[in-house]
Amino acid sequence: MAKLEISNLTKNYGKVEVIKGVDLTVEDGEFVSLIGSSGCGKSTLLRMIAGLEDITSGSISIDGRVINDVEPKDRDIAMVFQNYALYPHLTVAENMGFSLHLRGVPKNEAKIAVEKVAETLGLTPYLDRAPKALSGGQRQRVAMGRAIVRNPRIFLFDEPLSNLDAKLRVQMRLEIKALQKRLGTTSIYVTHDQVEALTMSDRLVLLNGGQVEQIGTPMEVYKKPANIFVASFIGSPAMNLFDGILHRDVEQTFVTVHGNKILVPNCPKLTNGTKVKLGIRPEHLKYAATDSGNNIINMKVSMTETTGAETYAYGHFGDEAMTIKLNGEDAIKSGDKISLTVKTNLLHVFDYVTGIRINN
Amino acid sequence: MYMKNFKTVIGKTSLIFAVSLLLFWSLGPIYWSFVTSITPPNDLVSSELHLWPETVSFEHYGKLFGATSISQGNEVQSIWPQFSKAFANSLVTSIGATLLTVLIAAFGAYAFVRFTFPGRDILFYVVVATMAIPAYTVMIPLYRLMISLSLINTHTGVIFIYISAFLPLALWLMRSVYQAIPISLEEAAYLDGAGKTYTLMRIVLPLAAPGLIAAAILTFLNAWGQFMVPLVFSPTLATKPLTVLIPEFVTRNYIDYGLMNAAGIVAIAPPIILVVFLNKYLVSGLMAGSGK
Repeated sequence: MAKLEISNLTKNYGKVEVIKGVDLTVEDGEFVSLIGSSGCGKSTLLRMIAGLEDITSGSISIDGRVINDVEPKDRDIAMVFQNYALYPHLTVAENMGFSLHLRGVPKNEAKIAVEKVAETLGLTPYLDRAPKALSGGQRQRVAMGRAIVRNPRIFLFDEPLSNLDAKLRVQMRLEIKALQKRLGTTSIYVTHDQVEALTMSDRLVLLNGGQVEQIGTPMEVYKKPANIFVASFIGSPAMNLFDGILHRDVEQTFVTVHGNKILVPNCPKLTNGTKVKLGIRPEHLKYAATDSGNNIINMKVSMTETTGAETYAYGHFGDEAMTIKLNGEDAIKSGDKISLTVKTNLLHVFDYVTGIRINN
Repeated sequence: MYMKNFKTVIGKTSLIFAVSLLLFWSLGPIYWSFVTSITPPNDLVSSELHLWPETVSFEHYGKLFGATSISQGNEVQSIWPQFSKAFANSLVTSIGATLLTVLIAAFGAYAFVRFTFPGRDILFYVVVATMAIPAYTVMIPLYRLMISLSLINTHTGVIFIYISAFLPLALWLMRSVYQAIPISLEEAAYLDGAGKTYTLMRIVLPLAAPGLIAAAILTFLNAWGQFMVPLVFSPTLATKPLTVLIPEFVTRNYIDYGLMNAAGIVAIAPPIILVVFLNKYLVSGLMAGSGK
């Protein structure tokens, strides 16, 4: 168990800067996800923590000790790789006990430790098998087991579930979370799957182009995205964004979008007539009783999809594309013209140019 | 339906024909050599063609292995002392060259794949490009070099030449073997607490075993079949291998076909045994199970 501090960390490959001054503190026992699209630097950051990539500048420290120049083998960090990286010529037990063997743990002690972890992961019947005789999910467990047996200070996960099928992924997600809570080991989890990040993490770190866009709890990130990037990355379907003009009078602040007046939370910093982006999550739009008045969005539906429990409708408000998420039972079809409303406190106002969130 | 069957028949027939041709091409000479080795000397010069000798005789093998033997009606000294010495020379130089080549290739190729140093790729291609240089062009400078090093007519000298000749191929082969091993396996080992050398010995080399064995087979077969290098650098029986000894059975007045072929048949035994034995370890799919 350990506290991890990353300070002004950068990484260059030649002239290309892939990590641009990242600051992050992971508290002891915390589960933090690094999330972002491909090439955002999340895996590179994880590999830098592991010691598999050199640090260009800045520092990484564990419990106050800078580990920039410490060899991976001496960092006491365990990592679960995306492709599991099991040693194919060793049995499951040997794979799991490899690190103990290296540390000179007596054979019978190591055997007990491996058996104990194997039991919690349901791997006991497979201890003498070669990895190739296991299914994908079982290999994934062995990779986890190999990390757990060592009782390391920090766990690193590099998209460990991306090779599993959907059902198994949900199951393993729950297992990893439960296991981490039980062991209380500081964990850093890299994923591009927002559902994994939102459901598993204590906090998540959104990365974009090698920079941190926002750090926060899943709810903070969902409810108060710091900017348009975060707003459109977190949430599925993605947040609707409309161009609008901010108006302010004595009683209220509102944004006009395609002639409709949408009351928004107070935006103290903005002056009357400023161009803004108005964000509305698809799940926050509800059917309206009327088709005019405040906070009304008039949508022309062009396509619908249903998953049974939910129905997604795609269409336009004015000339801007939008999506809504409705109950699966709602009868809606393409060509429909519907009126929707949204509560003021669920709205997001972003600066038109910088994309930064304006309302509280 | 009829056309489909017809096509299948044609396909199969062609395949069988092609395989038969290939087998005849590669095994035919060996068969002929074997038949010659068990044909009595007098029958060898008969004008009729026999695919199998009318009488089987081990006379030639007797000449090879016996203390004395009959040659053209006279009792003569057996050539066993020469033959066994040359056989041993062949084994020493081939095994020595194979072990050293594979050892150097195992570590050298790893460095070419996993270490970064200036001119790495250029250096590698230069080494591999030496395979394109005809051996004859370096023969004279090499001879002078070996004289100055006092390595003429020594096993060490021949082994050195073999290594320099066969190492590029082994390096090339091992390089692609290492490139196929996911680096995450090594990274996992580092994080598990293993150093670079330990990881290489315990994780990488076992996984590269099929490649190492293939490199060993290629090097051994190349070394075993060498004629020109030992012809020049192994002038006496102290180091002369079988490939050089056997043609010496041609004398001014008489070519001992039977003896040559008997010796040839014995000489192909070690490579066959080696390939059969090592082939067991040449299993493919050793990497299966490491990943998804």
